[in-house]
Amino acid sequence: MKIFWILVQYEWRHFRAAKGLVVLTGLVLLVGLYGIYYGTTELARQRQHLAELPALARHNVEELKTKFPEPADAGEIGYYHTTFAVHHPLPWAGLSLGQRDVNPYYVKLRLLGLQGQLYAAENVNPTKMLSGNFDLAFVLVYLFPLLIIALCFNLLSSEREQGILPLLLAQPVSAGVVVGAKLTFRVGLVLGLAWLLSAVAMGWARVPLDGRVGLWLALVTVYCLFWFGVAFIVTAWQRPSAFNAVALVGVWLLLLVLVPGLLNVYVAAKRPVPQGIELTVKQREQIHGGWDKPKAETMNRFFALYPQWRDTATIKERFVWRWYYAFQHLGDQSVQPLAAAYSTGLRQRYELVETLNWLSPAINVQTSLNALAGSDLPTHLAFQQSVVRYHDALRAYYYPFLFNKTPFAHADYAREPTHTFTSTSETPTAVQGLWKLLLSTGVVGTVGLLLFRARPIQPR
Amino acid sequence: MIQSIAQKEFISTLRDRRFVVLSGLLLALLLAATLVGRGSYRTLQHERMVAQQTVNEQFHNQPNRHPHRVAHYGSFAFRPRAGLSFLDAGLDSFTGASVFLEAHQQNSVNFSQAQQSGSLIRFGELTVAFVLQVLVPLLIVFLCFSAFTEERETGTLKLLLSQGVSMRRVAWGKIAGYGRAVALVVGPALALAAWLLFGEEEFAHNPDVWVRLALFVAGYAVYFFLWIVGAVVVSARQRHARSALVLLLGCWMLGCIILPKATANLGATLFPTITKAQMDADVHEAAQKGINGHDPQDQRSAALKANLLKQYGVDSEEKLPVSVGGLVMAESEAYTSKVYQQHFADLTRTYERQNAISNWAGLLNPYQAIRPLSMGLAGSDFAHYVHFQQAAESYRYQLVQRLNGLQASMGYGDKERKLDAATWQAIPTFAYQAPPVGWALGYLLLPALALLLWAVGLSWLGLKLIDNTPVV
Repeated sequence: MKIFWILVQYEWRHFRAAKGLVVLTGLVLLVGLYGIYYGTTELARQRQHLAELPALARHNVEELKTKFPEPADAGEIGYYHTTFAVHHPLPWAGLSLGQRDVNPYYVKLRLLGLQGQLYAAENVNPTKMLSGNFDLAFVLVYLFPLLIIALCFNLLSSEREQGILPLLLAQPVSAGVVVGAKLTFRVGLVLGLAWLLSAVAMGWARVPLDGRVGLWLALVTVYCLFWFGVAFIVTAWQRPSAFNAVALVGVWLLLLVLVPGLLNVYVAAKRPVPQGIELTVKQREQIHGGWDKPKAETMNRFFALYPQWRDTATIKERFVWRWYYAFQHLGDQSVQPLAAAYSTGLRQRYELVETLNWLSPAINVQTSLNALAGSDLPTHLAFQQSVVRYHDALRAYYYPFLFNKTPFAHADYAREPTHTFTSTSETPTAVQGLWKLLLSTGVVGTVGLLLFRARPIQPR
Repeated sequence: MIQSIAQKEFISTLRDRRFVVLSGLLLALLLAATLVGRGSYRTLQHERMVAQQTVNEQFHNQPNRHPHRVAHYGSFAFRPRAGLSFLDAGLDSFTGASVFLEAHQQNSVNFSQAQQSGSLIRFGELTVAFVLQVLVPLLIVFLCFSAFTEERETGTLKLLLSQGVSMRRVAWGKIAGYGRAVALVVGPALALAAWLLFGEEEFAHNPDVWVRLALFVAGYAVYFFLWIVGAVVVSARQRHARSALVLLLGCWMLGCIILPKATANLGATLFPTITKAQMDADVHEAAQKGINGHDPQDQRSAALKANLLKQYGVDSEEKLPVSVGGLVMAESEAYTSKVYQQHFADLTRTYERQNAISNWAGLLNPYQAIRPLSMGLAGSDFAHYVHFQQAAESYRYQLVQRLNGLQASMGYGDKERKLDAATWQAIPTFAYQAPPVGWALGYLLLPALALLLWAVGLSWLGLKLIDNTPVV
């Protein structure tokens, strides 16, 4: 055991002497800090944008109060009044931004048909979306494996190529202890770096200290161990350094580039999503058809859904707001099956990826971290559901004004329902991801050990 | 002599099992990416064409309606994919596919592919361009890192030089040999792409697509050339194969993975984007109160009305031959649209500033030169996207103004009347004309220049370095 620690100590001295590796490690540390800075400031910017929305909504109300100084027809108000449904992030999203830039984090709403408003896009530079986010999750998932590869590709082969290995093995020390000591030092270095960066990020983002801290650290740790397992297999194979480098980069390419790319193609082909556009086109057709249909027909269909308004006055006027909002809502109703199919389709796509992500621990870890941070598709779908409920609440608030012909007074603005939604961690998904990751790491470690046992270390 | 060295490198590369396996894999990937890209291109193109036809027919087959109702009914513009975008999908997965065109407001382009998938898509898509930009350089690195180190380690370099060849000529021979090997991998896939294009009625006789494809191929030829030269130079300057490989892999990671993301993110941090909510509010504010804040809409409308009465020499609205409502609507649309165009131009300028950091980085990193060049030639870059948005907006504006004109000509009391269904048949529908390659090249000068600078600089400086390299 003493020899083991002496070897670890010598590895440390070796490491300090190798300028290239020190620079590389320092670089990863800096890049990691940049990732933390970028992720948290990007999230702070989103928070700031969300904080500015109430002012815009207030401004709109002020404008309406000037436009309608007296109590007015609620139909007019509902038409011009805009309000916002907002999706607040978890602090964790600063560590793993996921799809928060692709999916809008607020929805501007009027009392009109919902389906025409629900899918509006936010201003985002598409070039930036293509390049992706440089957050901590990216550094951990993409770059840490490369650091591990750089540290381990010549674990034994360099000693062999420099002719030191025969001298080393001539000492009373087993090859297992040598490899073990070398790996232990490198695992310590990499995990120390990963934990340091995670701790800094958690402190910076002010995440609440609960079980999720452990879950994040466990995911990160086991993922790093997975890559050490891969490096161990390659070491046990005992080929020249150049071959090891090619093999390890090949595995990296396979797991981080090829498998995700192919999986993308497979998922798109296997789960075609009914185009969202079909839904908006149909909704428009229904809503505008409403103008040309007899009013009684429209109202009877509406009363079937809302019998409580059946006894209100029959419409004789050429135009009246309650009729207008009735056919807006019927437009939404008519595309209900399409809307449900659209969101179910998206969810099924996500779930298919979830069941297949064991193919690449990188995908598994990325989706698990996103799930933990509540920044992936399921959270966005949950947000959209909450927007639907909010729109229901808005209609429920306005209908009595419209059907009882109650004028909408200035004080009524303040009583209007408001919306807020905060992401929640999809902890079960992340825990499941951890189990799968443990399994893949176990497999890789076992294969490495078996290979190491089966092939005695060649000194030359 | 260069020829025979090139021939030797080419043949020994083909005999190398590692190369055969790697390049076989890469070729298979390229062919698969071409076919998959073609497949998804056709599906999306078909979907959008059908959708465009549907909404066009819906527009033409409207019943008797008031023109302003028709303006609110509006239409949709679908973005057709560019002919070469199956080779480089560029931004297509992140930009929306359709925009709703209606009176009074300009809507966002919605329903991007990225919104319809989970975070898996952020790992990148397997397109031909991706293989060419990221994976082929890796193949080149594996192929070339031992170009000189191996000869030096086995002592054949000295023998070779004793034949009276200069280091420089050896290097050129090697570059030519590796170039042939890479062409052997990339060539078939591009030939397949050309063949697929040729089979398509729409493109077979379209010189624009062929010019784009030719430039596309030329751009990648330069890109591969500079990777080969770079790898050979590194191999000559490094003492050991191992250090040459590690250095080259480091460059690849920095150039293809880290820098593109870092610069894109930096750009977004330096030049913040205005939110859609804020922009809409600003447009609304400027349209209501006038662009300079002293020209409110109510006053504009009142002045318009007063002018009309004076012009026709009448004292009330009822006696006017035109509908005041229609003319007020037209004036307001013109004003709002002008305001919107200003804000939209600001937003586009912000994006362009953000992208400029990335584009200038092309001078430091050839990957960031070939990427915009390739997207631009494929018609899937930011400039093409903005072109579509502007075409859609200009159609929207013309459509709405035409409908406002119809309303104005209906005279007083137009709201009580409708126009005949035949009116809508005469209105032209949205047809998008993608910009020609000459237009696209205007946006691609910087990346093209950066790529050429790299190629020339590397061949000149690198080979000069090789000349000064000690043989042993």
